[in-house]
Amino acid sequence: MSKTNTEDYLRMYTQMVRIRAFEDNANQLYLSAKMPGLTHMYSGQEAVAVGICEALTPEDKITSTHRGHGHCVAKGANFREMFCELLGKEEGYCRGKGGSMHIADQGNGNLGANAIVGGSMGIATGAAMSAKMQKNGRVAVCFFGDGATAQGLWYEVMNMAALWGLPVIYACENNGYSEYTKTEEIAAGSITARAEAFGIESFEVDGQDVLAVNQLTQKLVERCRKGEGPFFMNLKTYRYHGHHVGDINRDYYRAKDEEAEWKTTRDPITNFGKWLESEKIVTTDELVEINEKIRKEAEDAVAYALDAKYPDVSEVDMHVYAA
Amino acid sequence: MREITLSKAVNEAIAEEMRRDPTVFLLGEDVAEAGTPFKVLSGLVEEFGTERVIDTPISEPGFVGLAVGAAMTGTRPIVDLMFGDFIFLVMDQLCNQAAKTHYMSGGKLNVPMVLRTNMGATRRSAAQHSQSLHALVAHIPGLKVAMPSSAYEAKGLMKTAIRDNNPVVIFEDKLMYQDKAPVPEEEYLIPFGVANIKREGTDITLIATSSMVQVAEKAAEILEKEGISAEVIDPRTIVPLDEETLLKSVRKTSRAIVIDEGHQSYGITGEIASRLTEKAFYHLDAPVMRMGAMDVPVPFSPALEDVTVPTPEGVAANARKLCGGELIHAA
Amino acid sequence: MPHEVIMPALGMAQDSGVIVSWLKQPGDAVAEGDALFEVETDKATMEVEAQGSGYLTGVTASAGDAVPVGQVIAMITETAEEDSAPSPANGAEAPPDAEPASGDRTMPEGKTIIMPALGMAQDTGLLVSWQKQPGDAVSADDTLFEVETDKAAMEVPAGFDGYVAALLAEPGEEIPVGGSVAIISAKKPGAPFMQSAKAGGAPAAKAPGKAAEAKAPEAKAEASAKPAKEATPAMARSDGRILASPKARRLALERGLDLRRLAEAGHPQPFHVKDLETLAALPAEAPGTETSTAAGTAPAAASRRLCAEVPEAGFTAFCAWAKDKLGITDAASLLAGFAAAGLRTGDSPLTIAVSAFGSTRHYADPDRPWLGRARAEAPEGTPHLLLRDLRHAPLSFVSLGAEDCPVLTLTRHGETLTITLECGAGQLGAEAALTLLTGFAGRMEQPLRHLL
Repeated sequence: MSKTNTEDYLRMYTQMVRIRAFEDNANQLYLSAKMPGLTHMYSGQEAVAVGICEALTPEDKITSTHRGHGHCVAKGANFREMFCELLGKEEGYCRGKGGSMHIADQGNGNLGANAIVGGSMGIATGAAMSAKMQKNGRVAVCFFGDGATAQGLWYEVMNMAALWGLPVIYACENNGYSEYTKTEEIAAGSITARAEAFGIESFEVDGQDVLAVNQLTQKLVERCRKGEGPFFMNLKTYRYHGHHVGDINRDYYRAKDEEAEWKTTRDPITNFGKWLESEKIVTTDELVEINEKIRKEAEDAVAYALDAKYPDVSEVDMHVYAA
Repeated sequence: MREITLSKAVNEAIAEEMRRDPTVFLLGEDVAEAGTPFKVLSGLVEEFGTERVIDTPISEPGFVGLAVGAAMTGTRPIVDLMFGDFIFLVMDQLCNQAAKTHYMSGGKLNVPMVLRTNMGATRRSAAQHSQSLHALVAHIPGLKVAMPSSAYEAKGLMKTAIRDNNPVVIFEDKLMYQDKAPVPEEEYLIPFGVANIKREGTDITLIATSSMVQVAEKAAEILEKEGISAEVIDPRTIVPLDEETLLKSVRKTSRAIVIDEGHQSYGITGEIASRLTEKAFYHLDAPVMRMGAMDVPVPFSPALEDVTVPTPEGVAANARKLCGGELIHAA
Repeated sequence: MPHEVIMPALGMAQDSGVIVSWLKQPGDAVAEGDALFEVETDKATMEVEAQGSGYLTGVTASAGDAVPVGQVIAMITETAEEDSAPSPANGAEAPPDAEPASGDRTMPEGKTIIMPALGMAQDTGLLVSWQKQPGDAVSADDTLFEVETDKAAMEVPAGFDGYVAALLAEPGEEIPVGGSVAIISAKKPGAPFMQSAKAGGAPAAKAPGKAAEAKAPEAKAEASAKPAKEATPAMARSDGRILASPKARRLALERGLDLRRLAEAGHPQPFHVKDLETLAALPAEAPGTETSTAAGTAPAAASRRLCAEVPEAGFTAFCAWAKDKLGITDAASLLAGFAAAGLRTGDSPLTIAVSAFGSTRHYADPDRPWLGRARAEAPEGTPHLLLRDLRHAPLSFVSLGAEDCPVLTLTRHGETLTITLECGAGQLGAEAALTLLTGFAGRMEQPLRHLL
């Protein structure tokens, strides 16, 4: 086990724990009515965001979704600016103008979380198009859920990406549920076959296995940089919470047993932690230390954000137009 | 000064900007070899190649979405939407994505793109190829909207649009592509939000957009023979709107008609008329009148289509009523 | 570390949740993920899970309580003994409006059952019979009452499980659709009751009827005015309003020109800027032919000015009462009535004009038949008294001099009303002027006493 790999593994573990800690706090902020608006939890899907973003440089672009906190953390965002954004504070990444559904650390290549399901598929493909035109070797990753595969836009942009060989990776975070409906009830045939119909090379990967996700993404990013894109990844994963915070009685579409099964046997953080221990990369104590440190960091950031100031009302019509 | 067609003026503007800035590129259905159905873009692919003049599939939401993403990441796309009527297909990408990105990102991301499309009835193209839908996008904060009224404006506004850091929608009147106007050889830009006083007058202000500027000018000629002096103003961009120039004129003449080819209800004419009434009320000697297209889908039959849009005679008749002190809609 | 159990924000636009039931009792051991309590929000009833393991303690809200979201309602502690109430510092505030407003008869908490709209064009339903009695247990599917509509007699199910806490209408009563007829509570009610709809059970009942009644005079006035306007659009209007462009009005004002003179000269309306030249060219008014406005400049010695101050609250409350109980929405008619009562010395007819918000209405004998059934139907012309209602204008003091008739002016400063009486010495004697102002001020201060 090389030193470099050890650092990569620890960073992946840390980033996944950071996402979980962020979401646990965001969930509590929402439930305790300290957070305005509505929000969608990423918990359970951490290996997808982290496995993919760890294979990207800060210059590579991603587009995110309404369930976007995980992508934002994974692409390198700080807790303070993120919690400030969730609470509509001036120091938020979007100066409080975006909130949970539009949160993005733009400086790290995040082109924004999108509250229109599938709304960012054109943007990601366009970012790949401009990367190709500018010959800057950048790659764009388009995160979207299985529900978004029902949007017509995806088929339009896949067609163009394939025609023009664009460096874009379509990453379908297949958590099995399209809002409050089982995806098998809304998706005919095979989702992967749909991408393949455009001649796009497609992959199925276990979205709970951060190493599998990361290794595949590294390979595809490299190939994208060589002009071999686009690619499609179907990442089987699971969302621990409901569609949004508040969707707590969901027996009508999802059984509690199923949730318990995923949480106990397929948790991406627990399983990766166990693997790190079994490979003697870290000790149990070291993992506990990491968890504790992040828990503290998140709590401090929440406290900071709760005390942070709101934007001045004079900002309301600022940023409608760029100079 | 040389005279060129509006079509040629648009072509020149795009070519000049593509030469000046390598990040500018064109994208749309049949923009390359075909040069669009109106041949506006003919010759560009020969100069700039298919890497910068890109034919797309017939996927309006798809390629407008691509343009938004490309604009956010260092390029300046010009998207060609073959008919203005297709704007309904791209509403999410234009209004939910392009228009809001700068704001939602707290000013950190820009979308410097141009969507060029067309408008205008009386080309016998029926209800889905004849609409003038600029009011729809003018309603959405974050978008700028330009409406050139001649070849001169078409060139100057297009060049400004390409250099603007915001999404700009340009509506060209498809009936004016072959209309010629004096256009200087040397480079010029027309700033946004600066109205053009096409003709000075003292009795009534005719505010008109796009091809309606010609209608207003013809009405002014008719009125002149009757001793009524009409001032004709072309706002050139409706977002931003040069309210000051319009107000100044109306304070002078005390009367105004607003003429636009969009449907009259809930449109540009109502917006401008209401601003004038709010801000120049005590200077008005007659109600501000709106003249838009009739509130009907554009009919195919020439006999029907021609009565749906404002005409010089109709404008002159209304101007006569207002200047004559006729009681308008009084109860 | 103990976990706070909070009322969670679950709905899209939710301020509070009702605790339907506790699924654990104080002192019970709970594990993370156990369902703790059931909460009802705008969406549905949901089970809320424990966020940590331990013992349920410090429960401060019971089933049926509406609790603002974010409020701490219990703790999960490490031992069952730590049964202390959550500290108020944790954002727990008293729920606003949690206490039912005290009234003659406090309505029980619960689901309000309304008279349903069943027919196509139905305003009311006749309550035929109750199928449940106060205090009875009901389930959602049980028939609660029978109703007769324009179509037929129908049985209406309760719609909720619970107990009949109150029946708010008696068989045989007509209830407007949407009006409340019963309340079903979740808990067995302590004192279930039945009362007549007349006792205030069905508030929607009065609204439509009242509004229609109040609107009637206006509609009538409009109808009679209309034909005249349409017949001669370009001529002077019978209501005295002058049609003129905004610019013509502004310039006339700036140049001191009176558009009314143009109208009196028979110049066709509407007036525009060019008509101002005609106006300016009209011969100057000859001295001695003073218009009505010029009368205001009569010598001060020949006029009287008296002031009184009263709190405004009395009249405001009276207006509300009159509106609620008698359906009188025209406050001007009440003012006219008070003024007439103050002015009246005999049985001869009295016309009181009330001017407010730029329009003037004439009331004939508004003090009889008392109360306030006066309509603005009196003929135009010089009234016996003009009451100028300037309570909503930013004026606190007026001294305008005598006019054609005695003038009472109402102005307001803070919560105090100033009543100014101005009249010519020949219009009212000193004694009569004092009687009028004292009587009017007294009625304004304590309207009900004078009514009795």
